[in-house]
Amino acid sequence: MLIALSLAALFLFRDHPALATVQRSAVDTAASLSRMVLAPVDAWGRLVQAFSTRAELQQEVLRLEQENLVLKGKSQRLASLLAENARYKALLNSARDIDDDLIAAQITALSPDPSRHIVLLDKGALDGVAEGQAVLGADGLIGQVIRVGDRNSRAVLITDSAHALPVQVNRSGLRAIAEGVGALDRLLLRHLPATTDIRTGDLLVTSGLGGRFPHGYPVARVTEVKVTEGDAFAQVTAAPSAALDRGRFVLIVVDDSPSEPLSE
Amino acid sequence: MEKARALWVIYLSLLFAALCQLVPLTMEWRVFRPTVIDLVLIYWILALPHRVGVATAFCVGVLLDGLEGSPLGLSSPGLMLSSLVVLFNYQRIRQFDGLQQMVVVFLLLALSLGIEQWLRTGVDIPTLPLGVLSGLLMSALLWLPVRNGLRHLRRYYEVY
Repeated sequence: MLIALSLAALFLFRDHPALATVQRSAVDTAASLSRMVLAPVDAWGRLVQAFSTRAELQQEVLRLEQENLVLKGKSQRLASLLAENARYKALLNSARDIDDDLIAAQITALSPDPSRHIVLLDKGALDGVAEGQAVLGADGLIGQVIRVGDRNSRAVLITDSAHALPVQVNRSGLRAIAEGVGALDRLLLRHLPATTDIRTGDLLVTSGLGGRFPHGYPVARVTEVKVTEGDAFAQVTAAPSAALDRGRFVLIVVDDSPSEPLSE
Repeated sequence: MEKARALWVIYLSLLFAALCQLVPLTMEWRVFRPTVIDLVLIYWILALPHRVGVATAFCVGVLLDGLEGSPLGLSSPGLMLSSLVVLFNYQRIRQFDGLQQMVVVFLLLALSLGIEQWLRTGVDIPTLPLGVLSGLLMSALLWLPVRNGLRHLRRYYEVY
């Protein structure tokens, strides 16, 4: 009978609202449990930090201040470019880009399931995170939020073998779907005709089609285009721009305006 | 039936094993993670088949799914089935020597993993890579230490 119950939970009520609350609290529970496991490691880190010298900290602050200055300078240019771009777009009568809000979050754990690329983030519904929001790393798109708890959330990486996202070749504007295959350094672009204009080194950015990912974030770089004579499709693989297995800090893109409808 | 004694040892050991499941490993190393919680479950069924059984296996499965973030009910059926096998054969398995028990444990875990794999294709989420077999091997190798440790606990606290 219990077997029947779990099978029913699995097949019939997988997306039932009653189970959704359970899943939601499961996110928080899993997060706090893994924090418990990590507590000794964290404590050690804090101890080491406590003993790092004042000089080292001052150096660190100096380095960060300089980096901050450089970034600020760059973003000044970005603002003017954005304005310029907006004017051109207005001239062309196309939709205005939305300035996205970002939430900084930290990756706290990996899912223990070895077949999935799912991470736990330390921001949740109370911080404004919602399902479907895009997650960015320092160098590009990392994934999207799939389940939200009160204080924590789960995000699936773009390399998960159940994940695919619409992309665009930055150089030519060609649209494609980038599928994860379960390897951290590989995405697959399927169903591109063998005669397509795509080259090794092309940058893939989010196309914004489908209304889930905002337009224009870097996703991956094409690493291999293999055309077998006689085949209708080229075999195109790409490597994610973001270092998916490094770094703890990510940005969650919050965009409160409804996504633009796909006209035409 | 006698009155239960010190059942908290069972639940505490299961919880501790669940925490072992969460120990951080890098992406590629996760396949080698031994499923300590299954070993603990099998031990308690072998030792106290009148206290721990299919219902406990169900709860452990739900706990695992919650921790992994997979749809609820994914790992329970396999665990319940292998715990049924243990329940039917516990007297025989108790007589086996260490190596034989390791083989049995390997097969039991393979059974529950096989069921889980089958369900994964059913609900259309990615199946486990072949590498998890090495995780099973790790679990089988861990069986003797886990068994001896838990036996010590059971005798010390006189769990019944």
